Amino acid sequence: MMWLSVLPPLPVVGPLVIAGLLLMASHGLPRPIPDIIALATTAFTCILCLLLMRHAGHQPLVYWFGGWVPRHGFPLGVGFVIDPIGALLAAFIGLLFFATLVFAWGYYDEVHAHFHVLMLLFMSGMIGFCFTHDLFNMFVWFELMSVAAFALTGYQLRTSALEGALNFTVTNAVGSYLFLAGIALIYSRVGALDFGALERGVAAQPHDVVVISAFVLLTTALLIKAAQVPFQAWLSDAHAVAPSPVSVIFSGAMVSIGIYGIAKLAWSVFAPSGEIRHVIRVLLLAMGAFSTVIGGVMALLQRHLKRLLAFSTISHVGILLIGVALWERGALAGVFVYFIGHGLVKGALFMVAGILLALCGSIDEIELRGRGRGIWPAGVAMAAGGLLLAGLPVGLMSGGSDFIAAGANALGQGWLLWVVSLGAGCTGGAVLRSSGRVFLGLGPVAGHERHSPTEEDKEKADRPLWLMLVPTTALLVLSLVGTRFASDVISRATLRFMRPDNAMILDGAQAIPAAALALRAPPISYTAWLSVALALAIAACSLFHHRMTRRASRYFQPIRPVLTSLRALHSGDVRQYVMWMAVGLAAFALAFAVS
Amino acid sequence: MLNALPWAVSAWLLAIGLYGMVSSRHVVHLIGCLSVVQASTYVLLLAAGFRWNAIAPIFYSFAPGTPAVDPVVQALVLTDIVVGATVTALLLALALELHKKRGTLDPDQLRPLSRERKG
Repeated sequence: MMWLSVLPPLPVVGPLVIAGLLLMASHGLPRPIPDIIALATTAFTCILCLLLMRHAGHQPLVYWFGGWVPRHGFPLGVGFVIDPIGALLAAFIGLLFFATLVFAWGYYDEVHAHFHVLMLLFMSGMIGFCFTHDLFNMFVWFELMSVAAFALTGYQLRTSALEGALNFTVTNAVGSYLFLAGIALIYSRVGALDFGALERGVAAQPHDVVVISAFVLLTTALLIKAAQVPFQAWLSDAHAVAPSPVSVIFSGAMVSIGIYGIAKLAWSVFAPSGEIRHVIRVLLLAMGAFSTVIGGVMALLQRHLKRLLAFSTISHVGILLIGVALWERGALAGVFVYFIGHGLVKGALFMVAGILLALCGSIDEIELRGRGRGIWPAGVAMAAGGLLLAGLPVGLMSGGSDFIAAGANALGQGWLLWVVSLGAGCTGGAVLRSSGRVFLGLGPVAGHERHSPTEEDKEKADRPLWLMLVPTTALLVLSLVGTRFASDVISRATLRFMRPDNAMILDGAQAIPAAALALRAPPISYTAWLSVALALAIAACSLFHHRMTRRASRYFQPIRPVLTSLRALHSGDVRQYVMWMAVGLAAFALAFAVS
Repeated sequence: MLNALPWAVSAWLLAIGLYGMVSSRHVVHLIGCLSVVQASTYVLLLAAGFRWNAIAPIFYSFAPGTPAVDPVVQALVLTDIVVGATVTALLLALALELHKKRGTLDPDQLRPLSRERKG
């Protein structure tokens, strides 16, 4: 099919071209036009990616830019290789942008369509990141999405937004330079940048120190983007101060795409190295477990709702990292299901936060107590989101975590189930507590979160409630339907993701037929109910039995210093963040030296 | 010895840049140190593609096939410079706006969400 051969770059190139045209024409366009153009572009991109996914199911779609096809098995140019997983994630990203642009309809007054241009650039960066088959090209898309994200964070030029954007930019820029250093190292050893050629290079010298250093640098950069402990601190600053529509994208897709990058590099480049596999299984697993717990605990301590959701993102992305680090097919399939489920739910929750900012004029849980009664449908959405975060056994999130749990059990790592339930229970409990306080007026006026930092904030108010509720509800509903279908497609495609068909991509051999069967959905893990119960208990304790909590808190006295120091780690001082990044990088390198 | 030099320089630039960022007392200084971190990647990339006794990869007055340094890394460095310029420009613009709003660029006083409200 001729038309299919030119299709692969279109979801990236199309939005880029439209963004450029929009910028050129931005002075002359009346207000709803940029909104309409951006909406049409994202919808078109989403549909196109779904189409690509359908065709990639048979064999991966390969596109070499400029017609530079590999010669004698050596890549000459830069290629896109689209497998069903990359295409599905790209379609999800398109969908999330579409919903966000509906949510943000009329959010910005000014005529210049800079917001839409940046959003389209942001989207093409992420989709390019999912499609690319070249390490340096990956860096370019990584950078495009980072720069668009930096600009969108500080877009409104409010003081706190500027400070948050500064922290975000500095930490993530260090990450990009580490990524580039990793590219230089592996290029100096292998002499190629294409994933397939790199994989062959790694297979030829799996114990090489330079290759391993490259892995450390590349993974650290992606862990910074994925906000995993100890690289996580920028995230709560950036998410809390960015405009709500932008936070939807940050938490829904940008952070978790770092995990996709790690999985991609690990499976399609570094898999032949035994040392690297070992460190992934041990160190990244521990890192994911830590992030899951620390993110959950920190979420409980917040009263700034967006900051609360930001910490819950750290926790849930930690669960994704656990799934990747288990290094097993079922768990990896679970990661991609969870990726989409979490993105939908968290996106909806950030939209609820945006509704509160717009209609109630605050984002502070304590100040908002009882003020959400008039907009109760938003409260229903928030409570539903909280239950889903906690692991209520319906929908994509629970489908994904069941796969991950089954993988952990199969590998004899049952303790991870407790970690996952603890993290999910804490974040779900925090969201439920806030919805009870804001929308039902329950709970004491000031809880134990009294001293949390907060500040005046407001977003544009004259948008109707239904306009913002429609995308919120749509995301939540989408996270509930189609679990079977998504699990089937993903578990079938995961095998291809794990064993990229380099003989077909580089040597032009026949594609390995997609004989892989879908994995059967694992049974619902009993820990799901455990974490839901934990979430309900946390919410009930902090809302109803204040006195009891106070008595109980006496028993928690010993961990108070831990909580205080945890909070101190997120001080907002970018120098500390950079220091922790350096420490994390050193520890990562040390782990290799030891093992 | 000479072969190891560029790698050592690069590692040194990375370390000293990170140290400068951690110990910085002014945002503009911090941004400058970030550029030092970035400079380490220039050196690393150029070192990765350098060859002794080779020409620049321009075959205008040399026959094709003459040993040349690797042109790929030079293209990468060029992209790197563009990226660095973008990020630095954006950061300096943020710093400028912040200075207008807060009147200071001391990192000790710039902390998002750190100003506690009474009550």
